[in-house]
Amino acid sequence: MNFTSLKFTSLLLLLQLLGGVALADPLLEDSDWLKTMAFAAHQTNYSGVFVYQSGGRVETSRITHISDKDGEHERLEGLDGLRREVIRNNDNVWLYVGGKKVRVEKRRSQRTFPALLPEQIQSLKDNYQISQGEEDRVADYHAHTLIFQPKDKLRYTRKMWAHSQSGLLLKAVVQDEHGGIIEEYSFSQLTIGDKDIDRKWIKQDQILPNSKSIEVPNVAQKLATTSFWQVDFLPSGFRKVLEINRTLAEKNNSVVHMVYSDGLSGISVFIEKATGAKNVTGLSGRGAIHMYNRLAGDNLITVVGEVPPRVVIQVADSVRLAGE
Amino acid sequence: MKQEISVLMDGEMFEDDAEAFLDKLKRHPEARADWATYHLIGDALRQPDHVHRDLSASFRERLQAEPTVLAPRSRQPQKIKQYAFSVAASIMALSIVAWMSMQINTEPTPQMASVQNSSSIRPASFQSNDYLMAHQEVSPSADVQGAATYIHTVAEKE
Repeated sequence: MNFTSLKFTSLLLLLQLLGGVALADPLLEDSDWLKTMAFAAHQTNYSGVFVYQSGGRVETSRITHISDKDGEHERLEGLDGLRREVIRNNDNVWLYVGGKKVRVEKRRSQRTFPALLPEQIQSLKDNYQISQGEEDRVADYHAHTLIFQPKDKLRYTRKMWAHSQSGLLLKAVVQDEHGGIIEEYSFSQLTIGDKDIDRKWIKQDQILPNSKSIEVPNVAQKLATTSFWQVDFLPSGFRKVLEINRTLAEKNNSVVHMVYSDGLSGISVFIEKATGAKNVTGLSGRGAIHMYNRLAGDNLITVVGEVPPRVVIQVADSVRLAGE
Repeated sequence: MKQEISVLMDGEMFEDDAEAFLDKLKRHPEARADWATYHLIGDALRQPDHVHRDLSASFRERLQAEPTVLAPRSRQPQKIKQYAFSVAASIMALSIVAWMSMQINTEPTPQMASVQNSSSIRPASFQSNDYLMAHQEVSPSADVQGAATYIHTVAEKE
């Protein structure tokens, strides 16, 4: 009797050991997945069609990403309704609507995320329960799933499906605290690699006539800027990653732009001289991004972020001049 | 009696006995106090961070111990306001106590509905593209999603 129970216990132990090995082997550490995904988003060549759903709206877009010796080239084309296209060549971003160029942005070249700093990983772990879900298949590719469940109600739950081999993001779902889907992004067709990839558009936009681009000062200048503005309310884990004085697209006035990040979501605070009450639009949004603005004396304060509506409102209401 | 309470709480009492015992419990207020104490002990052992104590009794005692002020009425109207305020404060305090004591026996009250449903929020205007694009340049979500984050820019001019 004793002998059989001993045998049974050791069998269980052996099974547990085997199970442990089988589980641990193919899985990366959760934060390593994020790094892999960021790396894949920048380094992989791919082209495909994805479906974006939010608030009962469904949109289909084609996306192409090329990384070559000249850098990164991206193109996003809306396939429904009015023609909309975004082209990015390294730091330059063009927005076309109905075939006309409507906006040019100079994008910041030094990105913070791919090199997730140890304190950002710690902040992610402090504010989200990170776990891996069941393996899945998206657009015919095998995917690993990552779930970021926030520990408070000041940010959204995110589920990400990453291509098991490259780490490329294949699908992403943003959910509110009740599990309601705020937005969903999912590839329906995707080609990873150079095969059949269209490169004609890369040249095309480089010869755009006298495009007015928006200069963003270099990193050293950015960090030297200290504003007189203070933001009193931010959800825990949000740190300031950038503060610049900039201009916004077609406006000439200078805008203070402060950026806060918890490693997964960003909150931007813009402060500029108000040009009239007509620009005050209150709360608006698109998918997971919410925007709220208000007047503070002569200044217009605008807060934009991938956070629940009440957070952008609270953040905007907490902005004040330091020392006041 | 205490022995029986403990047995009942552990779910080890036979049904017939339990019914008889619960009848007895209803008739003896001191046994009810024991019943509450035992549950408090149990809660404290299971969840030391979330101990609920029946505050209503001690609050009532202290309220009754408060002296009744029989001062002559003042003609200053602001006194009335003060009095009204203190009454309001007591009512509030009482309702907080009532709410807290409800918490002891009932399920936690459902959370307030979230502020807004995303579909009820006004869609961003074309003018907000300035801010949306500027934000997307620097948002960490762009790093795993690439150009797809520009899906949030707005196509229609209103």
